[in-house]
Amino acid sequence: MNADRMQPLLSLDQVGLAFRSGGLSLRPQPPFWVLKDVSFTLHHGETLGVIGRNAAGKSTLMRLLAGIIKHDRGNFVNHGYTAALLSLQTGFVPYLTGRQNAILSGILLGLRRREVEAQMQAIIEFSELGDFIDAPLSTYSSGMRARLGFAVAYQVEPDILLIDEMLGVGDESFRTKSTEAMHARIRSDKTIVLVSHNAGTIRELCDRAVWIEEGVTRAVGPVDEVTATYRDELARRRKQTRSVRSR
Amino acid sequence: MRDFLRSEIVLPMQMSHRGIGGGGRWIDPRMIDLVLYKTYADLRAEAAKTYVNYLWWVLDPILSMLVFYVVFGFIFHRGGEGYVPFLLTGLVAWTWYNQTLSHAGSTILNGKGLINQVYVPKLVFPLVTFLTDLTKFAVVLCVLLLFLLISGYSPSASWLALPLVLLTQLLLCMALGLVLAAIVPYLPDLKLLVGHLLHLQFFLSGVFYSANDIPEPYRFWFFLNPMASLIHDYHVILLKGGWPHWGRLTVIALLSLLVLTLATILIQRLDQVYPRLVRQA
Repeated sequence: MNADRMQPLLSLDQVGLAFRSGGLSLRPQPPFWVLKDVSFTLHHGETLGVIGRNAAGKSTLMRLLAGIIKHDRGNFVNHGYTAALLSLQTGFVPYLTGRQNAILSGILLGLRRREVEAQMQAIIEFSELGDFIDAPLSTYSSGMRARLGFAVAYQVEPDILLIDEMLGVGDESFRTKSTEAMHARIRSDKTIVLVSHNAGTIRELCDRAVWIEEGVTRAVGPVDEVTATYRDELARRRKQTRSVRSR
Repeated sequence: MRDFLRSEIVLPMQMSHRGIGGGGRWIDPRMIDLVLYKTYADLRAEAAKTYVNYLWWVLDPILSMLVFYVVFGFIFHRGGEGYVPFLLTGLVAWTWYNQTLSHAGSTILNGKGLINQVYVPKLVFPLVTFLTDLTKFAVVLCVLLLFLLISGYSPSASWLALPLVLLTQLLLCMALGLVLAAIVPYLPDLKLLVGHLLHLQFFLSGVFYSANDIPEPYRFWFFLNPMASLIHDYHVILLKGGWPHWGRLTVIALLSLLVLTLATILIQRLDQVYPRLVRQA
């Protein structure tokens, strides 16, 4: 294995993150630890899958990796790379035109204004909006909005792309197209963190996987091993609840 | 291989790049892009909501001036020679201050959807509001100057001091606005209080009465209110062709600059705390 591939981009060591109830209250609530003990390293060029059931802390973890929020304990180091969550229709305003929204959204996602303007033709083509690009967003159907949102987000290429469950959007044909585009990007040399509760998706697209359960990393390693352990655990739990019910 | 990993230079959190800005960097070209374009977008969006669009920027202050004119000119018979220009000058300056501070408190709170989706330097939100309010004020100021010229007031040399007074007011608005923007997410109750405090300050700022009506012994206390001092300066410059009170102007500018710097540091420090706060709020 070459050195480039081993280069860590993000390192997490026993990271914990808690939410506290805000404001002044007479009886302060104890903090709720969404992440308790998360440890893994993200290497250059790999696609890392994050797997876990609902409320395991996956989305909070993604917001931490994106630099939106900060951890409360443990060590989290970003070795100097841009990391961004793939988010669609960010900052969209109904009163502005599709073009204006594309520029605003693109800047919010980390592009310079002239970069978005330079890629406008690609955005219009990918979103198949044509002349509608200069119509106000309030006249768009939800499918058109989804197409524009995806086309803009697709232009943004951070060092680390964070994807939360979202692969394809829009109507049937655009869903196929956007899913294909996303899969192509994931399979490329880009560094990606992909969140899903679907073990199949993770196994199909990722090199390595992290399994998180109630804010704790339960397993890190090659995707097949981790998803197999995850699946066994799910089966065990299902059997357990069934036996509890039958009792 | 192990040695290679260990020799990796670990950058502190603040140095890490993320989305726009990236904690440690103060002026990021993308942040300027964002502030400018978001201001433009907000102004466009606001105008698009109404039928006569941009006309409201002028219409709104004119209507509110009319109300004051009716109340104080007719009902309280405070009229007399030059009362209307006097009233309008003070009101224009006051409205800018009032609008900026009423808007500033909720700026970061209003961005709660956005700041949980992408990394955005939180300073962007108050800055955008300052710029939109400044733009609207600029239009109204032009209308005021035009009105003064038509009413027979001619520009004097002292009008050259006007930009300095305007700049000082901008610093004051930004300083107090940033403090509100920084604190209101922690203490939403403050926003309700601010409305009443502004109301009180309006009556103490010499908009519909002259600072010269204040008895000499109370002048010092009267001018402790920075807006009273600034509005008096506007009156002196625009209506009497005199020069502003340089001493008070300097003190206001320097104190504002100090508060502005502290509030900026505070907001930068709490950059990654706000997304959690506003999510719970």
